Amino acid sequence: MILLDRVTKSYGKDNKPALSRISLHVEPKEFVIIVGTSGAGKSTLLKLLTREEKPTSGKIVVGGIDYDSLKDKHIPLLRRKIGVVFQDFKLLPQRTVYENIAFALEIAGMTGKEIKNTVPKVIELVGLSGKEKKFPNQLSGGEQQRVAIARAIVRQPKILIADEPTGNLDPRHSWDIVRLLEKINAYGTTVLLTTHNVEIVNKLKRRVITMDHGKITSDQAQGSYRQGK
Amino acid sequence: MAKKSSEPKAFQQSRRTRRSWLTFVRMCRYGINNFSRNTWLTIAATAVMTITLLIIFMTLVARQVLFDTVDVIKDKVDMSIYIKTDTPEKKASSIKLQLEKLSSVKSVVYVSPKQAREKFAEDNKGDVKTLEALREAVNKFPGTFNVKIVDINDTSELQRFVESNKDYSEQADPNRSPSFSGSRRAAIQNIGLAIQFAERAGLIASITFIVISSLIVFNTIRMAIFNRKEEIQMMKLIGADKSFIRGPFVVEAVVYGFIAAILATALGLAALYAAKDKLLDYQIAIGPTIDKITIYIPLVLLVMIVMGAAIGVVSSMLATRKYLKI
Repeated sequence: MILLDRVTKSYGKDNKPALSRISLHVEPKEFVIIVGTSGAGKSTLLKLLTREEKPTSGKIVVGGIDYDSLKDKHIPLLRRKIGVVFQDFKLLPQRTVYENIAFALEIAGMTGKEIKNTVPKVIELVGLSGKEKKFPNQLSGGEQQRVAIARAIVRQPKILIADEPTGNLDPRHSWDIVRLLEKINAYGTTVLLTTHNVEIVNKLKRRVITMDHGKITSDQAQGSYRQGK
Repeated sequence: MAKKSSEPKAFQQSRRTRRSWLTFVRMCRYGINNFSRNTWLTIAATAVMTITLLIIFMTLVARQVLFDTVDVIKDKVDMSIYIKTDTPEKKASSIKLQLEKLSSVKSVVYVSPKQAREKFAEDNKGDVKTLEALREAVNKFPGTFNVKIVDINDTSELQRFVESNKDYSEQADPNRSPSFSGSRRAAIQNIGLAIQFAERAGLIASITFIVISSLIVFNTIRMAIFNRKEEIQMMKLIGADKSFIRGPFVVEAVVYGFIAAILATALGLAALYAAKDKLLDYQIAIGPTIDKITIYIPLVLLVMIVMGAAIGVVSSMLATRKYLKI
């Protein structure tokens, strides 16, 4: 599903590379947790996957799409195939819960009827029934993150990238979000989760990739994480 | 077989058309939603756009009023050519005809010595002594040609006529030189130069005001879009096309332009009506401009809306371009 082959990303000639010859293979329907301290290269890795950044060298293939042959005009189409969730939610503040989720379908050119059929189901899946007409600032952090997840999965992507989705949440809401991600994974979506939360990593017992200074330092099938490692 | 292969193509085409239409409708809806949901931003941007359009409106009006006033002044400036008191009417008519044939001459009015005397009497009807003296004296008023010329800066043809025309030379009043020579010449030339300067200054001021006010609007829209750059970033990351991201901003700016155009036209017209009497007192020819605007108000409004929308579209296109790079 995701293949990185000796990928390096440098910002400027004199700076140390943010990623250095990373190779990684993620199977379909896998749940992979990426851990590491700040500056380890987790966010750069995710930015390469969403094509916000281009690698300095190396090969990236996601969902069968080779990024080397991907034209700029096709990047929106690629991004519609990948769901992304951010630490700071990145919701449209002037739009309601329903409109935020529907937006992901509207940009794909789906009809009003299709949107009306799909959005309520996803709202129910993320547990936000009854809050369709609320604006983001009327919701708690956990609820806002649920809206972000609903928006990311409403197009049924094969891959969901969650970049520190629990970073701004209290423990109870963090677990709600993690359970939701597990549920989405159970439906067959490949999930890539970056987090600092030791408890979550250790309790999930999933594949854990540890990064440090732009390199993968460990890759365990049912891994654990110790902060400062 | 042919029918079979053409059906999917037609279907695809209709699907594409439907999608494009849907996208357009959604962009408009989002643009209008943004307009109505960002109250303060909307008020600020519409206010700036209104001021800009008002400046443009007033600049263009001022230019038109200047032209009209200049025309009035030009119309009041005429050249006087004098002939002897005893010039026969027939000769005077012949000189008048020859003057009218000159290409630089707009019109010629001949005031005979008799008419000049009557006018003098009329002007001084309250002054008994002057009237009595006038009655007793022999008429010494000259015959006068009041000549209006096309360009008051160019009297060369008239000058040549005065110097070389045989009929005129025979009848010219030896005591009075034509008005475009001697001391009045300088005054007439000064008026001409002042008019020329006013026209050029008006043009430069118009262009400067329009450019500055357009830059102000551009900056306001740029700031508004800068405030929402994270929103644009998010739209990009979930796969929105550039046109889909840019569209609502453009629609929003068009709505600013539309409302601002109506407000600016209404305010501008109200200001002109309010200032009309005062300006007329100062001999400023504002009447024709107000009349024209009132008669052509739908056209004026349309031009203002197009201008507002154009400034909005260009500004929002330029301002979003920076954030739409991959």
